[in-house]
Amino acid sequence: MPSAVLVDGLNTNSQETGVTKFTNCLLVKGSELVKEDLWISSLSGKILNGQEILYGHRTAPDNIIDLGGRIVSAGLIDVQLNGAYGFDFSVIPEDGMVAYSKGVLRVNRNLITTGVTSYLPTLTSQRPEVYQKALSFLGPSGPLRDSSYGSESLGAHCEGPFLSPTKNGIHNAAVLRTSPNGISDLASCYGAGNLQSPSPIKLITLAPELPGALSSIASLANLGINVSIGHSDATYEEAQLGISAGAKMITHLFNAMKPLHHRNPGIFGLLGTTSHSHSKPYFGIIADGIHLHPTSIKIAWNAHPDGLILVTDAMRLAGMPDGTYDWTNGSRIVKKGALLTLEENGKIAGSSIQLVDCVTNFMNWTGASVPEALKAVTETPARMLGLQDVKGSLKEGADADLVVLDLQEEKEEGEKKLVVEQVWKFGEKVFERDGSAE
Amino acid sequence: MRLIIRDDAALASKYVADYIIERITAFNATPERPFVLGLPTGSSPVLIYQHLVRRHKAGEISFRNVVTFNMDEYVGLSREHPESYHSFMYKHFFSHVDVKPGNINILNGNAPDLEAECHEYEEKIKRAGGIELFLGGVGPDGHIAFNEPGSSLKSRTRVKTLAYDTIVANSRFFSNDLTQVPRMALTVGVQTVLEAREVVIIITGPHKAPALQKCIEGGLNHMWTLSSLQLHPHPMLVVDEDATLELQVKTVKYFKSIEMVANELGFRQVLPQKRDSVIEDQILPAQANNAKLEVPQLNISRSASPILEPMSARISSDATKVNQAMDFVEDPPLLRMSARISS
Repeated sequence: MPSAVLVDGLNTNSQETGVTKFTNCLLVKGSELVKEDLWISSLSGKILNGQEILYGHRTAPDNIIDLGGRIVSAGLIDVQLNGAYGFDFSVIPEDGMVAYSKGVLRVNRNLITTGVTSYLPTLTSQRPEVYQKALSFLGPSGPLRDSSYGSESLGAHCEGPFLSPTKNGIHNAAVLRTSPNGISDLASCYGAGNLQSPSPIKLITLAPELPGALSSIASLANLGINVSIGHSDATYEEAQLGISAGAKMITHLFNAMKPLHHRNPGIFGLLGTTSHSHSKPYFGIIADGIHLHPTSIKIAWNAHPDGLILVTDAMRLAGMPDGTYDWTNGSRIVKKGALLTLEENGKIAGSSIQLVDCVTNFMNWTGASVPEALKAVTETPARMLGLQDVKGSLKEGADADLVVLDLQEEKEEGEKKLVVEQVWKFGEKVFERDGSAE
Repeated sequence: MRLIIRDDAALASKYVADYIIERITAFNATPERPFVLGLPTGSSPVLIYQHLVRRHKAGEISFRNVVTFNMDEYVGLSREHPESYHSFMYKHFFSHVDVKPGNINILNGNAPDLEAECHEYEEKIKRAGGIELFLGGVGPDGHIAFNEPGSSLKSRTRVKTLAYDTIVANSRFFSNDLTQVPRMALTVGVQTVLEAREVVIIITGPHKAPALQKCIEGGLNHMWTLSSLQLHPHPMLVVDEDATLELQVKTVKYFKSIEMVANELGFRQVLPQKRDSVIEDQILPAQANNAKLEVPQLNISRSASPILEPMSARISSDATKVNQAMDFVEDPPLLRMSARISS
């Protein structure tokens, strides 16, 4: 029997293993903060089993990083981001697709510094040619796995154009469509190739009460494309049919839908469903302090804590200075702090908040613990997308997309604030806040 | 036998941890000459590991040049199982300190040939130069490692069937399901432990008091395998007050007085410089037969002539003088020595 044991241990450090160990840190695991070490590999870009590395591979980490008691979470996931840093995913630049692809890269590289390591680039309702040009640039980055490209697309989110004209929000009502012929109408809008596997589309928001919508939902579910109910005038019953057909989520709950009425609970009523035949859907929440009253968020969270997904719904003015900016179709948007409104009618026009600030708001408004709040931007969206083993988790084998957070507490108000200190993508450090304590 | 009594488990554990750190520091280990440490699992040593980890994180001790050998491991339990001793050691010690992964040795309970695994383990210990300090705990029935009552006091690393008591006791870690508890384990033998240059045992809690009593006040007995330490040149038991409940007052007072007197005179319970453990006994005679040892420089002073030499002659760095001194070594008395060896 061969002896693999080197008593002197001299040759264990001779080559780079790519293994990093985080120590003295609190890991977000389920609803707990666990004081535990985390091992990752920059070679595979994945989270490792430290015990297996130690005993099986007899490898010591190249780097041991003492995080001084700070929190390590899986990287944040935003399933609804329309644009940022002056770039709008829904606008094809005049100088063509090269400029578009540069714009996407600029968003990715900036976005990752906010702790969002993967996201769904979101297209608002547009004419078919926009989808057919843009979607090929928004699909999942897949096997590329290069941390230098910044935040990673998990696939596009098409918010429209199969939406209710009465709940269009700031979407241009002129481009909204219906799909009486089911999936073939969707194919002619998004491009037939874009609905074939592997599809660049990960999520489609549509209104289930429109003609042909239910058969479209069923077809999309078969194709592995997730469906979310939103911008919809559906009654509770109509919404339930959408869920039965295969829809998994509600897009920005409360916004662009019928309000809760005690005799017709509307789409919100899905959170109170007692049926065993279908589970309660996931739902997006914009916790920016403008779109929703904190109490509404708390009610929704109490109704279905495992379904709540925090989204920013941020658009291209996120990260830009205050002022008045041109938007699509000749409209203009006024940005004042985090508040964005259409100049012509004062309607709320998306947000410009960062996802980590949504987490902070959510904690302070609902009394959620740090891991409970972070779950709404990690584990829950990953599970909704069917990526729970790859993203949004610190389990062995998941991608080593991490965010190191500092929890700051204001003594007088008792308010908490999460600050992004470091961001890691595929096992490599891609961001460190200036002046953060090493 | 040294018996150190502390007020509670925390203080006893701290004493052991500090003692181990002191021993490792004094040893001046190098990669070529590592400190070889035997390690236990179980509830008793948890506080010791905590203390070792704390002092490591404070930068007071490095385990870079420490080679570890664990006492035992279940047979047939996967390495990743939360109750495996691999998992225990990872969780409590190895994941927190800088022991080189290549220097960690734990018996493999899933080896294709368990007997060969045990034999190889003994060989590995020998190749590492023998165990310098074996840390251990003890079961309520006085077992050390998995050497259950009735184990041979001359036993070596081997496959061991667990006693029914042990299986029942361990079932609490396996959702109280007796069928889930492994029936066998690999364990170092009593003799393996006794061959360490020093053995340190932590015993805490009233449920261990009968075991301590049997092992100190009772006779050498294979039903209480810890009693074999009575044959070891340098055993040390570190216990809390609760563990002494079954001892005679006289016994407790005696060992307390030893420690008190030693402290008053300014020496502690340290291992003497001269080592007389079994392994060194085996090594030294072999070296005595080596012809190169026939010219020990120490013998210079035994010869009458150098004393007559002025001191300055010896202090001088003049090479010829040194050579002259070396020549004196080949005096008749030394020749007679070598003649005796060759005969």
